Amino acid sequence: MINWVGLYTLTSREVGRFFSVYRQTVIPGLISSVLYILIFGFTLEQRISEIQGISYTMFILPGLIMMNTLTNASSNTSSSMLQMKLLQQLPDLLTAPLSGFEIALAYIIGGTVRGMVNGVLVLIIGVVLIDLPVHDIAGTFLFIFLVSWAFSSMGLVMGQIAESWDQLAMIQNFFLTPLSFLGGVFYSINMLPSWAQSLSFLNPIYYMINGIRYTILEKSDSPVSTSLWMAILLTILFTSLALIMMQSGKRIKQ
Amino acid sequence: MSEFAIQISNLKKSYKNVHALNGVNVNISDGEFFGLLGPNGAGKTTTINILTGLVFKDSGNCLVFGKDTVVDYRETRSKIGIAAQELSLDWFFSIEKLLYFQAGYYGINRIDAKSKIDELLNKLGLEKKKDSKLRQLSGGMKRRFQIAKALVHDPDILILDEPTAGVDVELRHELWNYLRELHSKGKTILLTTHYIEEAELLCENVSIIDEGKILKEGSPKQLTEELGRSGVTVQLSKNTNINDLKISSLDQEYTVEDSRVHFSVKNPELAIPKIIQELSSKDIAIYSIKTETSSLEDVFLNLTGKSINE
Repeated sequence: MINWVGLYTLTSREVGRFFSVYRQTVIPGLISSVLYILIFGFTLEQRISEIQGISYTMFILPGLIMMNTLTNASSNTSSSMLQMKLLQQLPDLLTAPLSGFEIALAYIIGGTVRGMVNGVLVLIIGVVLIDLPVHDIAGTFLFIFLVSWAFSSMGLVMGQIAESWDQLAMIQNFFLTPLSFLGGVFYSINMLPSWAQSLSFLNPIYYMINGIRYTILEKSDSPVSTSLWMAILLTILFTSLALIMMQSGKRIKQ
Repeated sequence: MSEFAIQISNLKKSYKNVHALNGVNVNISDGEFFGLLGPNGAGKTTTINILTGLVFKDSGNCLVFGKDTVVDYRETRSKIGIAAQELSLDWFFSIEKLLYFQAGYYGINRIDAKSKIDELLNKLGLEKKKDSKLRQLSGGMKRRFQIAKALVHDPDILILDEPTAGVDVELRHELWNYLRELHSKGKTILLTTHYIEEAELLCENVSIIDEGKILKEGSPKQLTEELGRSGVTVQLSKNTNINDLKISSLDQEYTVEDSRVHFSVKNPELAIPKIIQELSSKDIAIYSIKTETSSLEDVFLNLTGKSINE
């Protein structure tokens, strides 16, 4: 038996929470994406040659969508969970007739919505500002959805483990941001020496970026099927981890 | 349905090397106003946190209306409303919205929740502040909001963890009156407190807890009669010959000092007429009579050798 009203309520709380502070949760990603487009499009692009026959600004845009998506999805769940812990709100959920599964699912959906909203808005900006051609719109949405879900789940794992904002910032700054930048947002891995190329294959974000790049530009450093399987695998892995952890309650109860 | 609203048996919990609970047993009847009385760190909050699912137990059982709080958690949690000691904060939503969320967690949709939420906002004097955020409320209002939140799903059992800690006298009396009203309507209330007065005034039965163990259980009256130190002190007129004083017909122990006689009695109110009658029958002139009523504080002192607020 599922507490549907409870699940819906917590989900709408999570979605409402980030929309109520859209200046913090939606606008910054858009501004930085527009800045990338302006800086690369109007200044640097003339000095940087095309990559795989694509103008540089267009080449980086799928990566920007992915970076925006995964950063927002993961920070929604991680910061919301940590905030709940620090502000003594978590007992309201843990003493209610909600299962760990329902609580985790509501959080993951909340983070997924934020990831998708941010990813799709950057996509729209790309289409409007630089005529980004979207080769396979369904595939693009599928990648944005899977990555949102996977990183929202990952954020929930982080939020359960973390006990301070400092710890969360550490994961973000030392793990997510470097992996995104090294995942090929700004370059094709063919431009790297072979040892660096081999290292890139270990970076899951590399597959996400190349997957969405293929669905938009039909260009990718890896087969799109590999990227899709990696996205599915990450989604299953992080979702299972987040659900099991929440259901056990080990990190949030004494 | 079980006649007991709450049954806690042999509950144990340790944190690293600290034994927070050493086999706690508590039975609370349906409709009872029950107090868990003990000093800070006695194990009160740990007990109710295990009961409500916030803390894992090491061993023992908690039943709510005969259902296990771990196995049948959905059913048992639906029957409980809890006002925690720590006030929670929220930066995003109005207090009215937070009450709707709270109702939703308990499976009550917006339409069904509306009348109860309106009633609670009105009853607890929060109506004018319903669009405010929690941080905009005074301490007293936050405390009232917490009680509204606990009652939003109309639970059979209300658990209050130190509800009047840090609350001014006026609000404390308002809250007490409201709790009495809820109790008169049939709610089972479990209150944890280290305020003696609160337990004595409100609770039908109390368990005295210290160092993770229940030391004694009973009504405040029973406990003070059994373990208290109440007495009647009679001041006799100066020319009374104390040495001739023999009050054998009275069943009480007494001590004599100068012209004062002190009787150690369980119930001073019942003893006074007998003492007056006995002394009068012996033509002993009484100058004044003073009663010393025992409180649960004395009971606690007697049981543990320390004050509850030490």
